[in-house]
Amino acid sequence: MSYLSDGLSRAVGLLASGDAATFSAVAATLMATSLSMFAALACGLPTGFCLGYFRFPGKRLFRMVSDAFMAFPTVVIGLLVYAMLSRQGPLGDWGLLFTIPGMSIGLALLALPMVVSLTASAVEQMDSRLRLTLLTLGADSRQILLGVLWEARFGVLSGALAAFGRVVSEVGIAMMVGGNIKWHTRTITTAIALETGKGEFAQGIALGIVLLAMALILNAALALLRRRGGP
Amino acid sequence: MSEPVYELDGVEHSFGDRLALRCPWLSVKPGRIVGIRGPNGAGKSTLLMIMAFLMAPTRGVVRFCGQPGRIGDVRLRRQAVLLPQDPALLKRRVEANVLSGLRLRGLSVDGAASEALDLVGLDPARYLRRWWWELSGGESHRVALAARLALKPLVLLLDEPTASLDPESAEMVRQALYAARKRRGLTVVAVSHDRDWLDSVSDDMYRLDPRTGIVQLTQEGHPCEP
Repeated sequence: MSYLSDGLSRAVGLLASGDAATFSAVAATLMATSLSMFAALACGLPTGFCLGYFRFPGKRLFRMVSDAFMAFPTVVIGLLVYAMLSRQGPLGDWGLLFTIPGMSIGLALLALPMVVSLTASAVEQMDSRLRLTLLTLGADSRQILLGVLWEARFGVLSGALAAFGRVVSEVGIAMMVGGNIKWHTRTITTAIALETGKGEFAQGIALGIVLLAMALILNAALALLRRRGGP
Repeated sequence: MSEPVYELDGVEHSFGDRLALRCPWLSVKPGRIVGIRGPNGAGKSTLLMIMAFLMAPTRGVVRFCGQPGRIGDVRLRRQAVLLPQDPALLKRRVEANVLSGLRLRGLSVDGAASEALDLVGLDPARYLRRWWWELSGGESHRVALAARLALKPLVLLLDEPTASLDPESAEMVRQALYAARKRRGLTVVAVSHDRDWLDSVSDDMYRLDPRTGIVQLTQEGHPCEP
């Protein structure tokens, strides 16, 4: 057990000393996660809202596909994005393979179905009387849409947080599309996988602590928002 | 004699093959409190939805202040405000709920929440900062009524306004309606099963039935002579 406690104390040392390799992986993770979540939220929030709010032909099929894609194997997403971005692929000219933007495309595709389905669920679960309430208070069409989205905000945020958790902890896509290049596309998860394989627990534990801290901070922020908004 | 706020002419509404509402005529004069009673399924709530311009009748015309009303017209919806039978509150504090309609319309909210809560008999000092989930069913209903009174509409349409209220609260609602009418000439159309409350509050009383349509009643509850 001593190697674990040694690893933990060295990990704290690495974080305290501002180890460059560790913080490079943290920066790459934050960059890739931010880009992918921005893209997934920009596309997924309006799509999920429309899916939950409006009735249209093919809605159930669309929802079924979106739900099914939440369980899509990440390694397959990685393979598809790799095939698209590789030199022979249709998007090969963009030169995005083994870059953070390229990796973000794969991660965004991973997050998108979660954002869509969980936003749609949050909107569907809204009190059915809400629309009538807004109408009787004199809301116009735009205000009704915004009002429903605002009332569903905690459900939507929870969905976004779940998608963030999936993206930030993803290894397969980051490894295949990012290439795990040190100082460049090495993320927290790919670094942990690599360092653990080499028996270097200290950096793995240090990065694990950062990953846990990020998850805790985001969950605490959501809990705080929920408290401010009632139960 | 002032122009009626509402004139309904040959209004009917069907859900599929089922006739849900038959109201050959109805005239509501400004500043009056009109009570409409009738059995379950008489179409009372449907009538209010049509009068609130939230639903188009299958047949007939609804004139509002002399003009034919149009469904979806936000301007009309803002003058004829409906309090549904089971109103939902927004997931916010009482103050934000009472002011929500005013904010949607971009109107001033200074002092409006306290004034409206006072009208429905809820102490602003105790209730303004409460969350929606801290209220009982009756308190929620009165907050929803306060939110609509704060809008100072031309007409208030009330669907079973005393259904979730104890007798004291029902009396406060009655007083609130009288006060709003006295201060700004509010016109009220209320449908209810609570015959005693309706008798006590209404200037004009009607009975609605899908077979016979709408019939005006005397103060003793008998049909008026045609």
